[in-house]
Amino acid sequence: MFKRLSFVTTLVILAALILVVPVMAQDEEPTADVSVLGSGDISISFWNGLTGSDGVTLNEMLANFVAENPEITVTTEIVAWNDLYAKLQAAFVAGNPPDVFMLHASEVPQFGSYGVLKDLGPWYTSGGGWFPDDDISESTLNGMMYEGTLVAIPLDNHGRGLWINVDMFEAAGLDPDMDPPTTYEGWVDLFQQLTLDADGNNAASPDFDPENVVQWGYAVGEWPRVNFLGALAQQGGSLVSEDGSTVTVNSEAGITALQQAVDLVYEYNVSPPEAGFDTWNAFGAGTLAVIPTGTWFRNQAETFSDINSRAWPAPQFGPEPGTWFGAHAWMVPASLEGEKLDAVETLIQWVSENQVAWAASGQVPARLSAQAALDADNYPSNILLGQGFSDYGVLDYGHVAIQEMYAALDPELSEALNGLKTVEEALNDAAERMQAVLDRN
Amino acid sequence: MSQSSTMTTPGRPKRRFPFEIDLKRREWIAAYLFLAPFLLFFSVFVVRAVIAAVEMSFYDWQILRPTRPFVGLDNYNELLNDDVWWISLKNTLVFTVMTVTGTTILGLVSAVAVTRPIKGQGFYRVLLYMPSLLSVGAVGLIWVWLLNTQFGVINYILSFIGIRPINWLGEPELVLPALSLTTIWWTFGFPMLIFIAGLQAIPQQLYEAARIDGANGLQIFFRITLPLLRPTILFVTVTGVISHFQVFGQPLIMTTGGPGRSSYTVIYYLYQIAWTAFRMGYGAAVAVALAVIMALMTLFQFIFINRRVEY
Amino acid sequence: MNNFSLGKNVWSYVVLIGISLFVIMPLSVAVTQSFMTNQEVNRWPPKLIPTEPTLDSYEQVVTQEDIRLDLWLRNSLIAASGYTLAVLVLCAPAAYAFARLKFPGNNIIFAILLVTIMIPQQVTLIPNYLLMRDLQWLDTFNALIFPGAANVFGVFLLRQFFIQIPAELEEAAVLDGASYFGRFWHVILPLSTNALVALGIFVFLGHYNDLFWPLIVTNSLETRTLPVGLQVLNSSYAGNFRPMVLAGAILSTIPILIVYILFQRRIIQGVMLTGMGGR
Repeated sequence: MFKRLSFVTTLVILAALILVVPVMAQDEEPTADVSVLGSGDISISFWNGLTGSDGVTLNEMLANFVAENPEITVTTEIVAWNDLYAKLQAAFVAGNPPDVFMLHASEVPQFGSYGVLKDLGPWYTSGGGWFPDDDISESTLNGMMYEGTLVAIPLDNHGRGLWINVDMFEAAGLDPDMDPPTTYEGWVDLFQQLTLDADGNNAASPDFDPENVVQWGYAVGEWPRVNFLGALAQQGGSLVSEDGSTVTVNSEAGITALQQAVDLVYEYNVSPPEAGFDTWNAFGAGTLAVIPTGTWFRNQAETFSDINSRAWPAPQFGPEPGTWFGAHAWMVPASLEGEKLDAVETLIQWVSENQVAWAASGQVPARLSAQAALDADNYPSNILLGQGFSDYGVLDYGHVAIQEMYAALDPELSEALNGLKTVEEALNDAAERMQAVLDRN
Repeated sequence: MSQSSTMTTPGRPKRRFPFEIDLKRREWIAAYLFLAPFLLFFSVFVVRAVIAAVEMSFYDWQILRPTRPFVGLDNYNELLNDDVWWISLKNTLVFTVMTVTGTTILGLVSAVAVTRPIKGQGFYRVLLYMPSLLSVGAVGLIWVWLLNTQFGVINYILSFIGIRPINWLGEPELVLPALSLTTIWWTFGFPMLIFIAGLQAIPQQLYEAARIDGANGLQIFFRITLPLLRPTILFVTVTGVISHFQVFGQPLIMTTGGPGRSSYTVIYYLYQIAWTAFRMGYGAAVAVALAVIMALMTLFQFIFINRRVEY
Repeated sequence: MNNFSLGKNVWSYVVLIGISLFVIMPLSVAVTQSFMTNQEVNRWPPKLIPTEPTLDSYEQVVTQEDIRLDLWLRNSLIAASGYTLAVLVLCAPAAYAFARLKFPGNNIIFAILLVTIMIPQQVTLIPNYLLMRDLQWLDTFNALIFPGAANVFGVFLLRQFFIQIPAELEEAAVLDGASYFGRFWHVILPLSTNALVALGIFVFLGHYNDLFWPLIVTNSLETRTLPVGLQVLNSSYAGNFRPMVLAGAILSTIPILIVYILFQRRIIQGVMLTGMGGR
């Protein structure tokens, strides 16, 4: 009898949990990865992948928005980007997409080709609307277009730059205010002076012990793909040929670009291999002098270590300067109509007109007028890196199968940067796989 | 008397009295009634989706594409020539063999030790199960740190005995053992609990009889404990293979499949196909192929472990 | 009764202490780091013990606006409890049929069950998602509880235990005129408490840590579960707020640790009672 009693007790406890637990934690004001802002009658849902300080900044902006537009309620939902793609696909196929969502410019063709995006041309001044076409860079504008139709409104430019450890520069007798080198040799020289072994010899010294490095000058490991795309542009190369039919990562330019990165690891010993090294961790612990990262690092740099750091422009290894950048962009499902569509338009317009506030996330506002209005004391990294995007940035390549092409490219870059394949082998394999993707689409 | 033994003793010569046939029918009906609720849920939520997935594998089925042409066996054909699939499958096999062996042995050893009349049984049962309570995200966060080349505590400890830093997650031949070690640490609590329950179901008289016959501890373990644990071992290894063959979170969080493709596993690759490339048709073909391989392995386990009983 | 002399069990202690160290080392690193500052975690050589232990990261994780452990926890407990209940109710009778009753198709149906769980959820997600839409279950607890309730692992586990129960016990009940249900309810279930509690723990924990499906089918704070929330926490802060992410993971583990400790005692009780009564 006892034994069944304990089984029944178990069931009762479980049932009790179901009944009792909901009583806990009620009547809370919800602000979380799902946030309900405002209490207006028109409720719109907004999905994005802006985790971290981006999301915090945006939710603060949206709180101001609903305060000014009390008739609107915004429910934002933040999930990590990869999960967002899956969630969006499921929601679209089930016919219940969010009312507005945020993706990257590079994904515009993909979602454009599904025919699920609303034509936002009428919102641009060229179509009689309010968003000035000429207040964003030409490449950003092109990134908003699928087959000649404007299907997205840009929020920002976010992209690649460096952060340097000021104290390490000074300890090596280098001036952190100097003009950054403009040649590969110049950068190698700089990194060598910043790479130290346990005996304090730098990498240029004949006594240097590459097996026992305690301070690295550089690290090839944080997001190697975008490093490569920037370096590729510097060499005059591109991911895909002009007509979009042939993958060209294994061109002369591509091989040179990747070889230079590999040589930093295996020839000059100024960077650890790609895998098994945590760049943020190392930079925060003071064992890495120069970290290639991006605009988003602005808020992180201040919070996770007491390192005295500042932004530097992306390194120039090739004959021309160049750096990778992407653009976050608003998109609206084609099926949205009526007052919800009006509310979404009001929302996007409001945020666009207040883009300066978005700089607090570290990213660079997409509108040139907002960039010009940034205050130089508070936003030095936004201004510095944003200038680079305008002057020589290459916008992330847009293609209907961009994610799949990158999924083919990434492991090959990793092979090369860990010394598992030669640069030629890796890029030829990458080109073959990416070409197969291109041909299929 | 004869009724009851007909029902519970297999292999009896069949009698043909109508009364007995009715009993048999009654047992059938009872069995299906016992099964009905489960099978109802199972059909609606599992079988339906599985059939849909198998069907998908014959189409070029991209989630949001307006057209989904029928392609016959093309997806399976592509699979045969897809080197990433074969690399992933090999990695998954290596990982599964290491992990299932490790968790089964560690689980069994822990269970045997903890069911001895020792002090602190309850404490050990809780402590050794604690890693199993964590989510894969937390496990990844902890172990990436432990295994880190430069900052990792493991390399730090090794440095005291003069071993140079090892790039656990960066060397192609070390990355799968490292992920497997992580997984063994994380999941051996499950087989341990199952073995504890299995061990305690073994009648004490058998042990006492063996001891009277002069058997030592090891002999008792191999002659009595192990054979009697057969159903438990079967369960542990079959479920172990099924779950570890579907390893996904560890490579996703800890290595993103790298270095190169050294820690690509089948589900990691499937995730890329289905949710990065959105090629559900091809993904379904990978899933079906994976299921066939797992089914064969399970069948092999049933045959192998059941045959060992004979002597 | 066995004697409790150390000599006979010395190997058990050696083995257990060895395995315990293997288990404790990673856990203790996580726990000590959660009491460090962001800066102290990033030190070389690594700090094993915080110089000035601080509760800052715990305070942060509880007070930070975008982290709602309380709500996530509530939802997770509701979903996991409901799910566990559903699994036990569905699986126990089915396992009884497979283990103790003879009927045509017994082995075939069981084999089909096993094969279907080998199809990974990545490809069954879309069909299931569409079903949830049609049932209007999106963003409800139903979507978190019922789709996985027909749990084949559960049937398999209980079947293996039911098989081990000696046939004579059931025969005695038959002599008393018990029905099939009576035999199941009065003989098999009482002897299987340990297995049922064990299964309950496993499915509860498994569900408590489930990520992908809840992430896709829930949209509101009313249904969002812990792993989904922690995933956002992790991807937002793991790089620069490691102690806070660890604190979140530790806090979210405490409730299931309590659940486990409570029910784990029950396993031992159940097993002891079976041992005394049954044989």
